[in-house]
This record gives sequence, structure tokens and C-alpha cells, in this order.
Amino acid sequence: MGKERLVVIGGDAAGMSAAAQARRLRPDLEIIVFERSPHTSYAA
Amino acid sequence: MVDDADALVTLTPEVFRKERNIDARILHEVTEIDLKGRRLQVRQLDGNKKAWWEPFDQLMIATGALPIKPDVPGVDATGIYGVHTLQSGIEVRTAVDQERPKRGVIIGGGYIGLEMAEALVRRGMEVSLVERAEQVMLTLDTDMGALVSEALMAVGVKLFREESLQGFDVRDGRVQRVVTDKRTLPADIVILGMGVRPNAALAKEAGISLGEKGSITLNDRMQTDVEGVWAAGDCAQSFHLISKRPFYVALGTVANKQGRVAGINIGGGTAAFPGVVGTAVSKICAAEVARTGLQERELKQLGWKYVSERIESRTRAGYYPKAGRITVKVLAEKGSGRLLGGQIVGYEGAAKRIDILATALHGGMTVQEMVHLDLSYAPPYAPVWDPVLMAARQVEKLI
Repeated sequence: MGKERLVVIGGDAAGMSAAAQARRLRPDLEIIVFERSPHTSYAA
Repeated sequence: MVDDADALVTLTPEVFRKERNIDARILHEVTEIDLKGRRLQVRQLDGNKKAWWEPFDQLMIATGALPIKPDVPGVDATGIYGVHTLQSGIEVRTAVDQERPKRGVIIGGGYIGLEMAEALVRRGMEVSLVERAEQVMLTLDTDMGALVSEALMAVGVKLFREESLQGFDVRDGRVQRVVTDKRTLPADIVILGMGVRPNAALAKEAGISLGEKGSITLNDRMQTDVEGVWAAGDCAQSFHLISKRPFYVALGTVANKQGRVAGINIGGGTAAFPGVVGTAVSKICAAEVARTGLQERELKQLGWKYVSERIESRTRAGYYPKAGRITVKVLAEKGSGRLLGGQIVGYEGAAKRIDILATALHGGMTVQEMVHLDLSYAPPYAPVWDPVLMAARQVEKLI
């Protein structure tokens, strides 16, 4: 059994905020984000 | 306003990978969610486009929103843009830089339409705006929307209200003219500002429940109705704290809060997002526009008895240089005086005053209580009675 895996669909405000918070609480979690555009988390 | 688009990207994939151990893969599209198999179908947009499956234990859906595209002839022509992401904004800027369009037509008078009107006016273009309703900014009441129309016309935007889009004249694949039910407008560039809808197709196809306006239904921990599947942001539903009903809003501020709450819960912590009061702010050249809570249209739909008053004042002491005009409207429940909403249109220093009203809404304050709020005063910042308190005083008389 590998590490627990969080997959995030969408790398903008909501997706990256969630990924960052999950990481803070769970250093062991494997986190992958799939983002369709060429950018992550921007100011909008 | 900001010269370099890269300045808007707060954190790059490299930063996420190196500093946070988050494997962010750009140009990767998820094409299917298989809930039973706990896996996603993914393809790389700049690769050979062959799809593969990726397993998950926890799934976070943050697929955002899509611009509403009118179902009219010619809508797919070159020169027509929907501005809803950084990438689409960059495309518009590139088109303006390279093709030097002279005439721009905006379809829709919501905040995207208004902000794009400002952007094109600043680039020296001749700008027209077509709005189907009798007013722009439908999130404002009619009287306050009229002030925004005036501000638009004052900066040179030609405003065509109560006109509906019929289609686009296209030549060699490129837009030439915008056709409404009343006229034809020559256009070198067209911006669709007809609002957005949740991009929730993946979730829907997977069998996850959708609610208000097709957004993903959530509890206050940001859980969907499927175990281990979470959602947040422009694809997700929110809750209106004043109407006490499900509510859909696509704003970065809500997306950040919902995303944070989802992430804490995914990480094993405990957090809840109670909902929103419908606060929004926008700027069209020098004019500032802000709203919070419920507006007259919504209150009538709910059948709630309300009173409202509108006052005009200044953003600083009247004698102080650069004191801007400000109009504040406050709505409160008839009888109890409970604050229900507020709207502001004005000039420098006007808009952020909406946060007083938003905070009072969160706190469930009455206008009677608001009158005594100990707000800051010095001549450079406010008249001795802040415009928001002046409006509260006027409404109190009608309770």
C-alpha cells in the first residue's frame, strides 16, 4: 500500500488553497494537481 | 494597470513543487472521473494527447467556471473573446497589442463587461456596450445601476440598453459586426461579458449532485455527496447567510476561503465555511461600485417586507481636497430594522465602505445599532457622519 493520494482537478485559487492547506496538515500526503491552462494560482 | 501578466501569477508550478512538495502539472486535462474505480482519466495537452488513468484516495474538484456563450450565429468567429481566466485575458491583450483594434463591443453589463469596457477605453478604443436589461450591473437596484450607466457614458462608452444580441456578421472567419435587435455595430474586437456558469460537467457525468445554477452541492465542510470527494470555488455552491438559501457566486475571494476549508478538512483538521452575504466590488475608470446583501429584486422574490433609503455625501470632509461624491443605499427589514443589504456608487474612497455593511450583515446588526458604530473619522478620510451611517440614520426613520 502506497502513500495516501490527494488529486486536485484545477490549479487556481480554490484548488491550490486546498492543496496548500492539506500539505500543511499532512506532510506525508501525496498531492497532485492537474491544471488545464499553462498557469497555476493567479490573482483574479 | 499591471504591465506584466507574470506579475499576476502568485505562485508558479515550480514553487509549489520545490517549496511545498505539491506536484502541480500544467497543461493536463482531466477528462473523466471514475468514482467506483477511484481514478481519473488524464491527458497532456502539449504531449501526444493519449489519455491514461491516475488513482486517487481523496479528490478535490476545483474546475472553476466557464463564460456563458450566447447561442447565436457567428459566436465562434475570430475576434470574439470570453474573459474568465488569466489566459483568456492575456489573449485579449495580445490581440489588442498586435491587431490594434479601433472599435470594441462588449456584450453584457456585468462586472466583467464593465471592467473590460474600462480596459478598452484606456487603450484609446471606441467602446460600445450592449445590455439586454434596462440597466447595467443587475446586482444593483435600478436606481443605483443608473448611476453606473452615467459613469460609463461619462468616460465615453456608448451604452445600448434593452437590446438583445442576435448574432455576429463574420467575414473570412473574423467578426465584422455585432447585430442586435435594434442596430448593427461595427466591431474589430468583441468581449463576451454575459457572466459565467459552473464548470461542473465532469462532476455531473460522474454522478455527483449539482444544485444552484448547476454548481456542485456541498456541506459547510466542502464535502460533496460522495465520500472522499470535495469541491470549492467557482464550480461549487455556496450558501447565502441572509436569505438562508443555496447561492451561486463566482469570485476569487470565496474560492480562496472554500479551498482553504476543504484543504483543512482533507488534511484531517476541522473547518467550516458558513457562507456569503453577496459582497462584490468593481471599478469602471474613476467610478467605484460595490454591493452586499440582498437587493430589492431578491427581497421581492422572497416576499420580505423592507425599507430602503439612498443618500448622497462625500468620501472626505466636504471642504477637504479631492472629496469624492458617494451615493449609499441601505436596505433593512421593515419592523425589526435588521440590515438586509447595501449598495455604493461613488468616487475615490467610496467602494471599500461596503465592508462596513458586509460586516454588519455578518453580525446580524440592525440599522438602529449601526447608527452608533464607532467608525473612524478625520477630514482626509470621512465626513463627521460617515456616508454609511448617514444612510443608516435615514433608513432608521422608516422602520
